Amino acid sequence: MNRAVVRAVVFAFGLAALPAAAQLDVGRIFDLGKKAVEVGQKMQEATKEYTVEEEIALGEGISAGFLGAVRLHPDERMQRYVNRVGRWLASQTEKPDLPWTFGVIDTETINAFAMPGGTVIVSHGLVKRLTSESELAGVLAHEIAHVLRRHQIAAIQSDAGWSAAATGATAIAADQIARRGGGDVMGLKTAAAEAGIKLVKDGLFLRPLDRGLEYEADRIGVVIAARGGYDPYGLVAVLTMLAQVKPEESGSSITFSTHPSPTDRLGELEKFVPVALEQYARHPQLEARFRQSTGTR
Amino acid sequence: MKSILVVLAAVLALSLANDARAQEQAFANRASELKDRPAYDARTLAPVAAESPVKVISRQGAWTQVEVGGRRGWMRVFHLRFPSTVESGGGNALSGLTSVFGFGQRKQAETSKVATLGIRGLTAEDFQSASPDPAALRKLQSWRSDKASAERFAREGKLAPVPVAYADASGAQGERK
Repeated sequence: MNRAVVRAVVFAFGLAALPAAAQLDVGRIFDLGKKAVEVGQKMQEATKEYTVEEEIALGEGISAGFLGAVRLHPDERMQRYVNRVGRWLASQTEKPDLPWTFGVIDTETINAFAMPGGTVIVSHGLVKRLTSESELAGVLAHEIAHVLRRHQIAAIQSDAGWSAAATGATAIAADQIARRGGGDVMGLKTAAAEAGIKLVKDGLFLRPLDRGLEYEADRIGVVIAARGGYDPYGLVAVLTMLAQVKPEESGSSITFSTHPSPTDRLGELEKFVPVALEQYARHPQLEARFRQSTGTR
Repeated sequence: MKSILVVLAAVLALSLANDARAQEQAFANRASELKDRPAYDARTLAPVAAESPVKVISRQGAWTQVEVGGRRGWMRVFHLRFPSTVESGGGNALSGLTSVFGFGQRKQAETSKVATLGIRGLTAEDFQSASPDPAALRKLQSWRSDKASAERFAREGKLAPVPVAYADASGAQGERK
């Protein structure tokens, strides 16, 4: 492959991918209202340009870059457990067949991330503060919602500076995918990995999504958890926990710097949690299975 | 008698330790009720006036166990307001940021938690020196679950799928997609 083309792909993806990981949730800094509407409109136009395959490749690149910075937690039983919870939830959505992948990273900070294409990461610091499977389900469902609605890609394309580059990258990526034989690692995937590391270095994970998108993911997440048969208030319980975490306890403020405050999110969620969901509040929370599988107390 | 007391003390200590992270102050954000258990049809122990301070003991789904006016019971989580958790740790360094980000008109208690960009967590620095790790990605992907085993897992947990429609932004129930 032509070197210049490779470089162009890398460059374009690097720019395109910048804000592409959605982060669990706690806060942005600019004012929402109109902005959320604009994001929504641009998302409509822009996300059409990514095929599912491109989205997956981009997400893999971001994940590879991300995992260059943060270690996976070594507890394989916990990893498989989180994957089962996540896969069950994802199966209840309109995109049950994405290559859904869930992972716990070995950091005591409190956070969770969604990459385009169906990879969801939670920190061990968050897992160990949860008390039940329904709370874990709430967290995972929120991240799944970011993937379903392609919020990360919307964020890329809502930025004028990135959208031109992103369009070019999409065209090149589509071409790459068309030519890619099964298992080709040197083509798009390498470019995507390079893009992933660039965006990670550029502070991708410090960059918040629009606040309106976080609220939307909360609303959708609660419904997905309910569909999975869980007590849908798991996410609500997690938000109350987050509302009480002291920054010195969290070890990092990335979660809080990238999401609306938990109190604001609770306020929003109360408006939108369908009253009908209350009837499911007695559904299983599965505290014991959660404790056994995650090694929390 | 003495041994019973010791046991009681141990149990108390343990439960305190368990609940340590949840021992926080909150406030009733509206007039509410203290219930005897975490359920809508539970008995009401006492009314709780708006702005009453409550001590948070634990949480369970839609409910939070609290102590208010010397009584212990359960309140709906949406009826509680949690004070900012950043004020104590963040201090004055953050107030500059709030104005930078145009938060001037909002109450500090609401905004302080989001205005923490000045604090860089460990991972922020970690990301600077990262290089991509495709081997870790493959490992991550090897833990995937397939649909069938996820379904088995759900059955083991007595989780039954429920058809629920997404709520749109107006709070109305939409069609399930």
